[in-house]
Amino acid sequence: MSSSATARRAQGRSYGTERTLTVLVGIVALLAGAAALAVGMGWLGRFRAQRAVLDPLAVDWLRDHALYARIGAIVLGVLLLAFGLWWFFRSLRPERHPDLRLDQTPGAELTVTSNALSGAVRTDAEQLDGVNRARVRSVGTVAEPALRITLWLGEGTEVRRVWQDLESSVLTRAREALGVDTLPTAVRIELDTAGSARVR
Amino acid sequence: MRVLVRLLSTVLGLAVAVAGALLALEVGWHWWQPARGPLLLPWPQWRTELSTLDWTSTPVRITAGIVALAGLVLALLAFGAGDRAVRMTEPADEVTVSTSPRALARMVGLAVRAQDNVRGASVTASARRVRVRATSRLEDEQQLRPRLLETVAAVLDDLPLVRRPKVTVVVDSPKDRR
Repeated sequence: MSSSATARRAQGRSYGTERTLTVLVGIVALLAGAAALAVGMGWLGRFRAQRAVLDPLAVDWLRDHALYARIGAIVLGVLLLAFGLWWFFRSLRPERHPDLRLDQTPGAELTVTSNALSGAVRTDAEQLDGVNRARVRSVGTVAEPALRITLWLGEGTEVRRVWQDLESSVLTRAREALGVDTLPTAVRIELDTAGSARVR
Repeated sequence: MRVLVRLLSTVLGLAVAVAGALLALEVGWHWWQPARGPLLLPWPQWRTELSTLDWTSTPVRITAGIVALAGLVLALLAFGAGDRAVRMTEPADEVTVSTSPRALARMVGLAVRAQDNVRGASVTASARRVRVRATSRLEDEQQLRPRLLETVAAVLDDLPLVRRPKVTVVVDSPKDRR
């Protein structure tokens, strides 16, 4: 995986799976409701609309195939349980902030904790002219760590200058200090709300 | 939005798990002990009720309508909770820079309000479009609009944006109403 892809993924906490599953559930519910309404309107046959919701035909069929229906229902239930639990815990899992492992030679391991790393880069970034506040987090996995930096700029700051300084000083220094060639980074620039101009 | 979708996703996951567990439990229990009643849910009662309702009955229609509407809301919410970041060009290969639509709108708004004869301005921005609505008492739309377009263009020029948003400026001035 290239480092620019890692940097792109570091932009925000990933939640694509959760979002896709939610969209799918929404679409399924929409289609099911629409289908039930269509049946009720008689669009699938006028007699179809007059039949009971729990159709005796279907009940009889299930009774004839009771063994398979029961096994099928239990298997379906267990699968739904497993899938639902996986989904539930996936939605709840906190974002990981991995430590940076610089050296993994046995006996000479060197690890920079995520707090130390983000603290150091944050202090450095806040030294930049025009940057009021900064927040730095290490994100990603232990194998592919990345930085997510949020900068709050003061009003009237030249964004382009900060954009250049950040790469040329802060990130370069961080890479040199850590002795790594690449440090994928996602930078988010915000305008600080402190000031009088918000309400005018 | 994102928090809401994450919350909904958690609730839905839990609901699916509970539904699956109840299905397996009830079917298994009924198979093992057909003579005893249901374990947790009064499903024989549901069965009698459902077999008396036909598809045209009001409760079925109302339920179907609610389910369809809830599904639509859910899908739209989750679909609309995408990433709205305004991307900037990358200063180095492994560094991505972005800003929020709100920050972009505030940068534009500050510049517009700093112009002469502008009484107030509201700005909405996205990665594709910047809309400015300015009010002025002293200048009409024809005078002020070109100047504001220039101002906004200058702000956008100073930002290293990946794609330049289209700019629309509307001036609301009492001089135009005469």
